[in-house]
Amino acid sequence: MGTTTKIGILYSTTGAYGAMGRDGRDGAEFAMAELQADWGNRIEPVFVDPHGNISDYLDCARHLLRDAGCRHIVGTITSLARKEVLPLVEKHDGLLWYMCPYEGFEANENVIYTGACPNQHLIPLLDYLLPRYGKRPYLVGANYVWGWEMNRLARELVVDAGGEILGERYLPLEETAVDRIIAEIEQRRPSFVLNNLIGPSSYAFLRAMKQLSLRDEKFTAENCPIVSCDLTECELGEIEDGSAIGQLSTATYFDSLNSAENQDLRRRVTERYGAGRRISNVFASAYTAVKLCAGAIQACGTDDPQAIRRYLSATSTSTVLGPLRIDPDTHHAALPFHLGRITADNGFEIIASQAAITADPYLTGRRSRMPPQLRVVS
Amino acid sequence: MKETPNFSGWQAAILHREDGTTERLERQLKLLGFCVTQQWAALEATALPDIILVDADQGWDDLLPWIGAEAPRPLVALLGSEAPGRIAWAMGQGAGAIIAKPMAASAVYPALVMALGVHTERNAVREKLLHLEERVRLRPLVHAAVQQIMAAHRIDETRAYDLLRTCSMRRRLSMEQVAASILGGAEPLPEAI
Repeated sequence: MGTTTKIGILYSTTGAYGAMGRDGRDGAEFAMAELQADWGNRIEPVFVDPHGNISDYLDCARHLLRDAGCRHIVGTITSLARKEVLPLVEKHDGLLWYMCPYEGFEANENVIYTGACPNQHLIPLLDYLLPRYGKRPYLVGANYVWGWEMNRLARELVVDAGGEILGERYLPLEETAVDRIIAEIEQRRPSFVLNNLIGPSSYAFLRAMKQLSLRDEKFTAENCPIVSCDLTECELGEIEDGSAIGQLSTATYFDSLNSAENQDLRRRVTERYGAGRRISNVFASAYTAVKLCAGAIQACGTDDPQAIRRYLSATSTSTVLGPLRIDPDTHHAALPFHLGRITADNGFEIIASQAAITADPYLTGRRSRMPPQLRVVS
Repeated sequence: MKETPNFSGWQAAILHREDGTTERLERQLKLLGFCVTQQWAALEATALPDIILVDADQGWDDLLPWIGAEAPRPLVALLGSEAPGRIAWAMGQGAGAIIAKPMAASAVYPALVMALGVHTERNAVREKLLHLEERVRLRPLVHAAVQQIMAAHRIDETRAYDLLRTCSMRRRLSMEQVAASILGGAEPLPEAI
């Protein structure tokens, strides 16, 4: 292609989930810098930043799709933001590259999903936790669809396994008053805590639970772990005093992964950002999405979404997340599952892994059930 | 919602002329685990699928093999028109949810879940109504049995009613059934407590 292909990068670098947005943007920018080193100006990023204001996402997406001429947008962190821009992406027949873990129940033709859905994070997580820690968890979550749906599904899975939910509480985004929840957890004494809070709420909760564990050893990370599905390296620095050490989180990528691809990426990231920089799932996933997108555009000789989709489902690409292929029906990537334990130096020690799991966004394969025999009532 | 809806292995019928909408609808339904058929002809009453999606823009009365809103299967209306007559037609056939045309992929699963929920709820209400109607119909039997117990034991109506109710609870039968047995002589009068 003689002309410049533009890829839109849509992340909020400030706001409730700004730490994740900054890492996503960094990952995308880093991938772009590497691409431009090879391709020169044949590829170009267009960065937009809605600063966590949901009402600005649409304007940002419109700028990318209509004014800047992008057909591909990498980004959005929350489901709220994804749903906000999707109608416009559909209208322009573009492709949104969504790379965050989410609650599933979506399979849009105009999205490439490289973030994990529940059969790739929550289900293997509970498979691991229930036999080891017990079947009586306590659920906390952010008061929006991610928290609600993750906890709804967790409840269903725990009850199906013969367990019970000892409590379920929600906090508004950015709310840090966690005392009442902590008091309830102290009193009910769960087997573990599933933490679907995000950002500052999550950090405040982890700090307060650390204080509780100092008063009562029932609540140490060994006895009653706090388990998250989206806590990554990029946020650990925000939780002071090492309060989160020993707690668990799932991801499709951890900085400590020992693969050749990851060692290579780490070396290059260190050259660019210095030795202290840890790569998070957000960084690695944004990096991977940009590379995958650009690679497909180059291989197809066009940025036409239909051609790109066909290429991605026919080809397996080697990435830091492992070999990646996009399912032609669900448009989701098969992804590995890793469970990490937070270390004293703001990293994760990987304690369990599963090879790439095919995405099942509507959970149709978990159990096949016959349709109910509907009685005719005359 | 306690249980995640799962349509794996279900049969869905799309009653709509084959076009871009049916193509995308079929794709989305297959993704959800459905076996899908598409036709633009009346549906056979003898082989109903598990769920039906019908074109409410152009659908006619004999397209669906039932009369009125008591649809024997969950029904979803595919609707582009805003004409009140077309909305009324969809409701008149017993549709429990609408998918607007042009169709957004994200509209399909919620509409199916809602149509199924509405269908289940309507069935339960209908069944309860039939049950209550039956009881109202048999209410004179209860009254007659109470009168007999009052006369036999020389007790007031409240105590006689209590005796009949205790008896029906012990026998795990409805009061109407016990009353009918007593009046028919198949059941001795309950003993006074």
